[in-house]
Amino acid sequence: MRRYRPADIVDAVVIGSGAGGAPLLARLAAAGLSVVTLEAGRRWSPPEDFATDETEQNKLFWRDERLTTGGTPLAFGRNNSGIGVGGSTLHYTAYTPRAQPDDFHLHHDFGVGVDWPFGYAELAPYYDELEAFLGVSGPSSYPWGPPRPAYPLSPLPLNGAAQLMARGCDALGFRTSPAANAALSAPYYQPSIGWRPACTNRGFCQAGCSVGAKASMDVTYIPLALARGAEVRPECFVTGFERDASGAVTSVIYRRDGADERQRCRSVFLCAGAIETPRLLLTTGLGNASGQVGRNLMAHTGLQLWGSFDTAVRPYKGIPGALISEDHHRPADADFAGGYLLQSIGAMPVTYAGTVARGRGLWGEALTRHMRGYNHVAGINILGECLPSPVNFIELSDETDARGLPKPLAHFTAGENERRLTAHADKTMRAIWQAAGARDIWTFDRYAHIIGTCRMGDDPADSVVDRDGRAHDLPNLIICDNSVFPSALSVNPALTIMALSLRTADRFLARVAQGDI
Amino acid sequence: MTRTPDHRYPVGTVQALLDGEHVTAPTRAALQARLTDPPAAQPDMLGNRVGLLAAVCARLVPQSGSAPVDVAGMLHARLATGVGDGWRYADLPPDPLAWRRGLEGIGETAQAMFDGDFTGLTAGDQDAVLHAVQAGSPAGEIWRELPAARFFETLLAAVVETYYAHPLAQEDIGYAGMADAPGWQVIGLGEREAREPAGIVA
Repeated sequence: MRRYRPADIVDAVVIGSGAGGAPLLARLAAAGLSVVTLEAGRRWSPPEDFATDETEQNKLFWRDERLTTGGTPLAFGRNNSGIGVGGSTLHYTAYTPRAQPDDFHLHHDFGVGVDWPFGYAELAPYYDELEAFLGVSGPSSYPWGPPRPAYPLSPLPLNGAAQLMARGCDALGFRTSPAANAALSAPYYQPSIGWRPACTNRGFCQAGCSVGAKASMDVTYIPLALARGAEVRPECFVTGFERDASGAVTSVIYRRDGADERQRCRSVFLCAGAIETPRLLLTTGLGNASGQVGRNLMAHTGLQLWGSFDTAVRPYKGIPGALISEDHHRPADADFAGGYLLQSIGAMPVTYAGTVARGRGLWGEALTRHMRGYNHVAGINILGECLPSPVNFIELSDETDARGLPKPLAHFTAGENERRLTAHADKTMRAIWQAAGARDIWTFDRYAHIIGTCRMGDDPADSVVDRDGRAHDLPNLIICDNSVFPSALSVNPALTIMALSLRTADRFLARVAQGDI
Repeated sequence: MTRTPDHRYPVGTVQALLDGEHVTAPTRAALQARLTDPPAAQPDMLGNRVGLLAAVCARLVPQSGSAPVDVAGMLHARLATGVGDGWRYADLPPDPLAWRRGLEGIGETAQAMFDGDFTGLTAGDQDAVLHAVQAGSPAGEIWRELPAARFFETLLAAVVETYYAHPLAQEDIGYAGMADAPGWQVIGLGEREAREPAGIVA
């Protein structure tokens, strides 16, 4: 690996190595730029370091404490946040549907939320590129959305929950399809990366893939970036910036082994996710002329519905999200804006037990009896729209962490639109699970991915970054992660974050080529 | 009347899996340590209430085996690391303090309801105390400041997740996911691979 010295003025420092940071890191390096990524967590070697054990794998989650409040307080940790080279992609389920064109103009269609400054057409080429590069497994013909190329690999096999969802949906006339998953159904080769092996159906995507079949960033864009001359500097927690008289960032300050270090640079890409990105800007006071940093916090509606079946499911096996239905993307009978997708889900034992505890409040004999039926349990869930609201935001709390920095405090209260959408989904999923033969049906009302705390937009008064990710008031600071999403999109965000990352890199490189940087 | 599925594995199933060829080294290391090593001794994080915590755990996750899992000891060891889940309800104090005060509150509620120490109550009375805390407005001064239902949810999730992370608890629910080395090829509904044992009752 190439190594830069702190005194070297590198073309760009990238803060974070997940879905927002890693693709652009590789892109900038491939263009010949000198780039360093600073990652708060470790570089893992999955075959030796990853156990098929949820508790051991808690090391993949961001566990510096975040405070949560509001009418429907958000859960963090394993629910939605990661640490380590690869970021949250280390524990994402690899579920990689594309957003649909109308996801980008919710305000145009419904008069609520905001539209993106660009549309689907702008991201479509990047979706094409990503699916080919990552090796996404999926159907040859996808039933929803605009025409698109076939997925490069065949779908992964359906596990018990997916078969049950297909049975229930068939009975009710809802279309289903094997889902797009960025996990390989066959060995796959990419130059500079080599062969990655096929998925072994181990079922532990959310606790880290130990074989490299899942397209987390540490086995895809990070090795590509390294091969193109980028430096990956793990266990470096960024705490601040140095700026020149014009206000431009001249170096990034970070803590490593308890000591402060700095890396000089010409530009900074902040890709730390929708909590740490605004937290760093709020602690340093940068990029917030609009007062919008931390505002517009959104979290996908993610209601889970569980049931017990006579036939054994053994829900720890297979890719967790094997089946999808987007028939409720824009339901005809909706009394809300937007819509949701449906997916079958897996269940690792500890996470499932915790869900039963929090969601049903079961304990004692009622709990242990229920858990003895674990092998007969299967679940489905939605991933749905969430509207921005002035009452939902991230701020700095009065409490400090071990580094002496303020802990973030998240305010989140589901609004009328989220409640109506969730009620619609509850009815839909209940009908599907009843049709599939479920007993003892229950739901867990949860909110998933964190989105939207540094909104992208054309108006500096109501957004933090422009359509190319540049901070309106600090042009050599670029933000690229789920924080810049103007709206939540009714799909899992990872693929779109990566698409945005490639686009952000290309927009930056275009300006480099024009001599603007 | 529908049958409740019961998929327990025979005692020794998980140890046999760990001793076999189907478990990767990192998985074996993590589970064997949890199975064999007692929780590390810690300075008292709970103000002399580990015994009370153990009595609470015994009601939240009752165990019938001859060698019960030391859930309270594991929780105490985790509290001492200072590393939690990564999030906390803002209306609860930080973890060691919340646990000390919450356990103190459970003690107060036991006194108020049954005029005795929680640890000395019958199982039924202990359950009544815990139900009162879970319901959100139990008797006791502590609960004027500490939101009872929130504390109970946090406590219950931690107890349950700690217990079901233990190989013996996983044996009790018929979980064989730790046999991870070859991956799974037989994953469909009602299908079982050779290395997935049949349950006692199923």
